[in-house]
Amino acid sequence: MMDLGSLLYLGVTFGLFAIFAWIVIKTYSRKNRDKNEVAKYRMLNDD
Amino acid sequence: MDTPQYNTDIVRSFILWSVIWGLVAVLVGVIVSVQMTNPELNFPPYFTFGRLRPIHTNAGIYGWAVGVIFATFYYIVQRLCKIRIWSDKLATFQLWFFNATIIAAAVSLLLGYTTSKEYHELEWPVDIMVVVLWVAFSINIIMTIIKRKEEQMYISLWYMMAAIIGVAILYLVNAAAIPVSLFKSYSLYAGTNDANVQWWFGHNAVAMVLTAPPLAMFYYFLPKSTGVPIYSHKISIISFWSLIFMYLWTGAHHLLWTPVPDWIQTLAMAFSLMLIAPSWGSVINGYLSMKGQWHQMRDNYLVKFLIIGITFYGLQTLQGPMQAIRSFSAFIHYTDWVPAHIHMGTMGWVSMIAFASIYFLVPRIYNKELYSVPLANLHFWLILTGQLIWSISLWIAGVLQAGMWNAINPDGSLTYTFMETMVEMYPYWWARTIGGVIFLTGVLVFIYNLVKTIRSGEKLAPSAVTAEGRA
Repeated sequence: MMDLGSLLYLGVTFGLFAIFAWIVIKTYSRKNRDKNEVAKYRMLNDD
Repeated sequence: MDTPQYNTDIVRSFILWSVIWGLVAVLVGVIVSVQMTNPELNFPPYFTFGRLRPIHTNAGIYGWAVGVIFATFYYIVQRLCKIRIWSDKLATFQLWFFNATIIAAAVSLLLGYTTSKEYHELEWPVDIMVVVLWVAFSINIIMTIIKRKEEQMYISLWYMMAAIIGVAILYLVNAAAIPVSLFKSYSLYAGTNDANVQWWFGHNAVAMVLTAPPLAMFYYFLPKSTGVPIYSHKISIISFWSLIFMYLWTGAHHLLWTPVPDWIQTLAMAFSLMLIAPSWGSVINGYLSMKGQWHQMRDNYLVKFLIIGITFYGLQTLQGPMQAIRSFSAFIHYTDWVPAHIHMGTMGWVSMIAFASIYFLVPRIYNKELYSVPLANLHFWLILTGQLIWSISLWIAGVLQAGMWNAINPDGSLTYTFMETMVEMYPYWWARTIGGVIFLTGVLVFIYNLVKTIRSGEKLAPSAVTAEGRA
């Protein structure tokens, strides 16, 4: 039987993983796919 | 849109001081390496290996690396945000407080005041100075980012923010101590908890000082040097978040085979291996950014520094996780293999990127052509050769040392005494000193080139005029 500490530990781990998965999905979503590449072109002209 | 008037004076000052502290770090490094081969060159109480070694590491990490971080971050953040830094006064205060802190650190270490925690040796009054310094820096960078005029944040800004927040958390938690006198304190943690917190700090100082900031510089200065954008901003974002997700769990791989709970060791080992993926995400992104541009490795000295730098990052982030595996760690831990690993990172990865960044910045902020490209190339080959001699000789030494320590006679007794293993190290320690001297020569060539550039370099052509209106 898992105690409260173990459950909390697992919860935090899976919570972090969920946030990471959300970032991956958001970064590669069709909506953001092109938008996310804009910065690499704009930085070339920042002087 | 009006061109922002960027603050270049602060960048210039931090470059100057970081180079000075970098020279001190390498010079003291060579001295302590000679003290290993010639113990009679230890002059107690002040000039002994025990007191000089932390001065070498502190000057290298907090003087050289952090000084370059301050310089490059102030340069990069203004341009990526298209706005002048939030507070010039705060930046100037930070510059002088930085030097005061480094001097206080060097003097207190020389006098023997130390917490004895590796990379966190400074006693509580100097700790407070470090915190004030970092808070001033953090406020200035974060406020500049908040007030930015660019909507989307380039990857370098993410790494910069991670470094700022990461260092603050790590330093504050590990610095928690009870002062018992003006220069003596005891850690708030005890036993294995203290060791665990210390190496959570120690390894993540590598992450947040020697990994995230050089990656911010690499992602900024590589495209600026080649003139073409990085291969994929999306890969850089995913690499960033996975690096952040994984790094903070890995510190306990420094404590394998110790009384730290077994599951913490296993967790650290697993996350260390997983860390290969985000690290190599950046390496591959860097290589793919060179598609069609590989000729620049021959023609463009900046690219040479940057690409060899990221290559050493790749090697470092493969070797590191291997060392975090229990069986491998059992063999090489506590041997000379470990400093060889660390110096591939500091001399090969961090310093290569730092040198490239300074070579990029100095001509622009002084409005001068670099005095001599051949000297920059000579500098490159000297530091590369010096670092390879340094690391390869001590990798061999480490394997030899581990083999001798583990050798057992049929009756179960040790084959070699500790002194016998020490004597075998001498040729390799001499090779290390030679590598260090070659690296030091490279640094002197670098400084000579910078001084000549600043004093007598040709004015840049008008076409090279940039946002600050004079460089």
